[in-house]
Amino acid sequence: MTSPNSQLDDMRRAIREADPSLSRFDPLPRIICLDDFDRGMCGWTQLVGNYEHSLDAMLPGYAQHSHAMLSTLPNWDFGSHGGVDGSYALKIATRPKTGAQNVAIKRLTFRKAGPIRLETYFTFKPEATELQLSETDIRSFGFLYDLQVGDQHGAGGNRVMPHLRFLNAENGVHLQKWQFKRETTPIKPIGTAGKTITHYHLAPTDWEDLPGGEQRLCYNEIPTKVNWHYLRFDFDLATMQATRFQVNDRVFDMQAYDCIRIPAMKNLWCMLNIGFFAETDTDKRAFAYLDSVCLSGDF
Amino acid sequence: MLPENLTAIVARNEIWTAESATEPYEAGWAKEAIVFVRALKPPKGKLPKARIEISADGMHWAPEGSEFDLPATENAVTFQRVAHFGNFLRVAASLPAGAEITVLVSMHFKA
Repeated sequence: MTSPNSQLDDMRRAIREADPSLSRFDPLPRIICLDDFDRGMCGWTQLVGNYEHSLDAMLPGYAQHSHAMLSTLPNWDFGSHGGVDGSYALKIATRPKTGAQNVAIKRLTFRKAGPIRLETYFTFKPEATELQLSETDIRSFGFLYDLQVGDQHGAGGNRVMPHLRFLNAENGVHLQKWQFKRETTPIKPIGTAGKTITHYHLAPTDWEDLPGGEQRLCYNEIPTKVNWHYLRFDFDLATMQATRFQVNDRVFDMQAYDCIRIPAMKNLWCMLNIGFFAETDTDKRAFAYLDSVCLSGDF
Repeated sequence: MLPENLTAIVARNEIWTAESATEPYEAGWAKEAIVFVRALKPPKGKLPKARIEISADGMHWAPEGSEFDLPATENAVTFQRVAHFGNFLRVAASLPAGAEITVLVSMHFKA
């Protein structure tokens, strides 16, 4: 006999698969957000650095950040590219300087320390300022969580920052591999009130290769064409461990994976922030695009 | 449904000297924009007018025709209304030798 829970799962799955906007995803039972950028920015915003008294106090890594855009992926040679469906994607653009980064962030909190699943359709490309392929002009595309345990966790609770990036190229060499990091920069106090600290978790240092993380992604023959990629990252907020990482047809072994872990901070309980970022390897803007993002949880 | 509305900070604490401009902002979805410029520090030297520039691709720019004063004192604000700008928008200024302004530039869009 089929259990009521199994019947519920079957019904839920049937309803989702009948809905084209959800059928592209494989969410956990509760959808926390389904951000289709045809409906605006959906709460994705600029990651601004911490400061006190003066914006001059902001670390340069954060000072360079600018606001994401709603983009049709317009190109000078064939016009708007559009998204997987609908007209718009979220665009994260760096400045035109080697090593420049930019981040878009969504700030949430969680209501159960259990499994969560992040899914997105993404692509990236350099600004098409030259009539050549430019496949090594993007250094990286990646994503991160900024998480912290709830205020009832007790001793030993951490702020945990899972990071993963696709290192596309470095110094002009096409590397195409996934990396992670477990180190941030030293924590630095800001200002004089004793309330604000900062660290640059996206610093170019301390990235480690994900074993078996080499992946050749689809890229097109000219610098204006793109193809959309599927990405899924499963994480358990109870154990603060990654459980699965998939990009297109590849599921990666996460045995060696770990996150940045620092002691819990006094103001960030139950934090669930998600960020996506892009980085350029040349003096040319890097563009990362998200067609849509689905965050789901098991609760 | 309410129309789409967005505030984007396109330059924050950026020091403008010589030829300066905000990063390209894509907003083809918007019918209108207001660009605000605030001086975060006392400006130096003789400030020129700022100009609105538009672009089809974010790379090749044309003056839209609007010009407006840059803020003359710390925390002063100037602005320019823009409509029918197509796709990419930026604020640009050509500052003479010795002139300098630290700006906060925001763009407010409505569909």
